Amino acid sequence: MIWQQFQSLIGSYPLALRGLGMTVALSLISLVLGTLIGFALGILRTGGNQLISRVIGAWVDLIRGTPFLVQIFLIFFILPELGIELDAFTAGIIALSNLAACFICEIVAAGIRAVPTGQVEAALASGLSRWQRMRQVVLPQAMRMSLPPLVGQYVLLIKDSSVVSAIGLTDLTRVGWLVVQRVPNGLLVFAIVGIGYFVVCYPLILLARRLESRMGAAHGEVQL
Amino acid sequence: MIEFRGVNKWFGALHVLKDITLSVEPREVVVVCGPSGSGKSTLIRCVNGLESTRDGVLVVDGHRVGDPTTDMTELRAEIGFVFQSFNLYPHKTALENVTLAPIHVRKIARSAAEEAGRELLARVGLADKFNAYPSELSGGQQQRVAIARCLCMRPKIMLFDEPTSALDPEMISEVLDVMVSVAEEGMTMMVVTHEMGFARRVAQRVVFMDAGAIVESGTPEEFFSNPRTDRSRAFLGKILRH
Amino acid sequence: MLENFSFRTIVEYLPLFGHGLLATLWLSVVSFAGALAVGIILCAMNLQRSRLSKVPAKIYIDAIRATPLLAQLYFLYFGLPRLGVVLPELVVGILALSLNSGAYIAEIIRAGILSISRGQVEAGIASGMTYTQRMRFVVLPQAFRVTIPPLLGQAIVLVKDSALLSLISVSELTRAGQLLASDRFMPAEGFITTAACYLVLYYGLKGLAALSGRWLGVQSVRSGA
Ligand SMILES: Nc1ncnc2c1ncn2[C@@H]1O[C@H](COP(=O)(O)OP(=O)(O)OP(=O)(O)O)[C@@H](O)[C@H]1O
Ligand SMILES: [Mg+2]
Repeated sequence: MIWQQFQSLIGSYPLALRGLGMTVALSLISLVLGTLIGFALGILRTGGNQLISRVIGAWVDLIRGTPFLVQIFLIFFILPELGIELDAFTAGIIALSNLAACFICEIVAAGIRAVPTGQVEAALASGLSRWQRMRQVVLPQAMRMSLPPLVGQYVLLIKDSSVVSAIGLTDLTRVGWLVVQRVPNGLLVFAIVGIGYFVVCYPLILLARRLESRMGAAHGEVQL
Repeated sequence: MIEFRGVNKWFGALHVLKDITLSVEPREVVVVCGPSGSGKSTLIRCVNGLESTRDGVLVVDGHRVGDPTTDMTELRAEIGFVFQSFNLYPHKTALENVTLAPIHVRKIARSAAEEAGRELLARVGLADKFNAYPSELSGGQQQRVAIARCLCMRPKIMLFDEPTSALDPEMISEVLDVMVSVAEEGMTMMVVTHEMGFARRVAQRVVFMDAGAIVESGTPEEFFSNPRTDRSRAFLGKILRH
Repeated sequence: MLENFSFRTIVEYLPLFGHGLLATLWLSVVSFAGALAVGIILCAMNLQRSRLSKVPAKIYIDAIRATPLLAQLYFLYFGLPRLGVVLPELVVGILALSLNSGAYIAEIIRAGILSISRGQVEAGIASGMTYTQRMRFVVLPQAFRVTIPPLLGQAIVLVKDSALLSLISVSELTRAGQLLASDRFMPAEGFITTAACYLVLYYGLKGLAALSGRWLGVQSVRSGA
């Protein structure tokens, strides 16, 4: 019995690989997009313009306050009503990138705010332009602070990508759901699905931990 | 070179600069002193626009500070500012701290900037610390890097806000020696400090502030030997007792 | 197009959303209580010296953190019947949320306990307290204070995560939106109303977090003085 199930599971490995590929593609594309947009938003959020900052803050709050599943449904079902045709993959990318951008925006903004004012003043005093101050002085120091939560955010992003299976994308979770209809052993099937995610996420979790402890050590140095 | 005419400044309801009129000639060294909270830092920070003024006129190197037509970024490149807390960039080495602005603001070639930077660091006695990070340097060494960082821009004016007051006593003189040598080369300087030895050696003028106003101004000899107001007498009594 | 956005239909479905909101609320409360229990047990296991209790706790926490909640939910939903355990969807959902959030809460509590300075513990040792007494009188009261804000943060996460239960047809808030979307072909009305209801819960919890922050801040100032 178990042996038969195993065989039929092995038979569905092309499907599993496709699912893993879909999960990785979704995560990777939205990771890149989300990071770029998130940094831009984070910089704008801490920039001088109150209005822009408020608007970004309100948007981030809306995204943080609603379940990702609902966001996906909104994008997938409502954008077409507004005349924007899109397939499930595009909808997934939009939803995930937006989610990542919002969280990364807050991480980056917190990092920028944590840079001491003296640093900005020193850069101002030596005549660096606005962008040069950002690029040469503020961002490198903000990055150092933001890196561990940023990596943590990537883990969340990969996990959240599982939710797009709800609009029918064949990612790793969806593959599990499809296979379990044929091979009625949920424990086995979803343990394997879990291992798939674990293999991708766990190294990132370890990386985030290492970065964090290294940063703790660096802080010790500075405090001396 | 620097001219304040009737400058006022408020922090909310707090009147921190009261009708300041003061002018600093080219190659002149002016020391500003006064009790804590009297507005010395605010005064000196106005010169390069780190603080904005509300009324009055402030002209620096022929440009009106705070005027919309003045490019403050350009003006600031001509003014060195040394902070009490050094404010070196912690993610950059001593040499990188010194060459950052010359490369990006002055658009000097990296190699030329590094050569000038090494020369200046050697001049302030840090020939062996080019590649050290700020966290690896003592306070006195950090402040000397900060001074080299300003000098590398070949500024017309140097401003110092209590450059030695965050330092351990044994490091104060190494920083003051550098400042004296900069002054002797004819730099225009405004220095907030309570180091009266420095004032006697190189300052042409001492300005005494209290509660946001300039109370007294004169040569160091006049000021130290014969302070004219009760407040300056009381102040000198306090700082000279140490 | 959204010009025929129908508020009338929303009003018509309002009782359904009311029920959904209440369901989400109470199932979140129950799950959070379960998660606290799971978290406290895991954290206690993790803080022991013995590897026998430490290692399983660590493995569990890492396994939960490195896999998506949805996969965990399906694992239980499709897996439990296999073990002969047949539970209503709602119970499976609450179980999944508790087991998932518990792992995060264990880490929050651990961070809180570890944030208590060595000096505090040593002061306890110096005044002759036993391990239990030190925990009871010195460490836990202080740790409690630092863990409240992140715990409320985790509560917000849990409320949002509970939306996934709609995928195993638990009737809660998101399910209400799905029903309106599919019965009347009105996804905009359905999911915008759903989102609005979640925002009510979100801002409520956020306000609570701010209040607790202020209250705890006042407390620590008092005890600091
Ligand atoms: N950013 C600010 N906002 C509000 N008040 C300020 C600010 N900066 C300075 N002040 C106030 O303005 C007054 C003058 O401050 P300033 O720093 O110029 O004094 P100071 O003479 O440099 O004192 P110290 O010797 O302590 O450095 C003080 O009362 C100070 O509290
Ligand atoms: Mg000052």
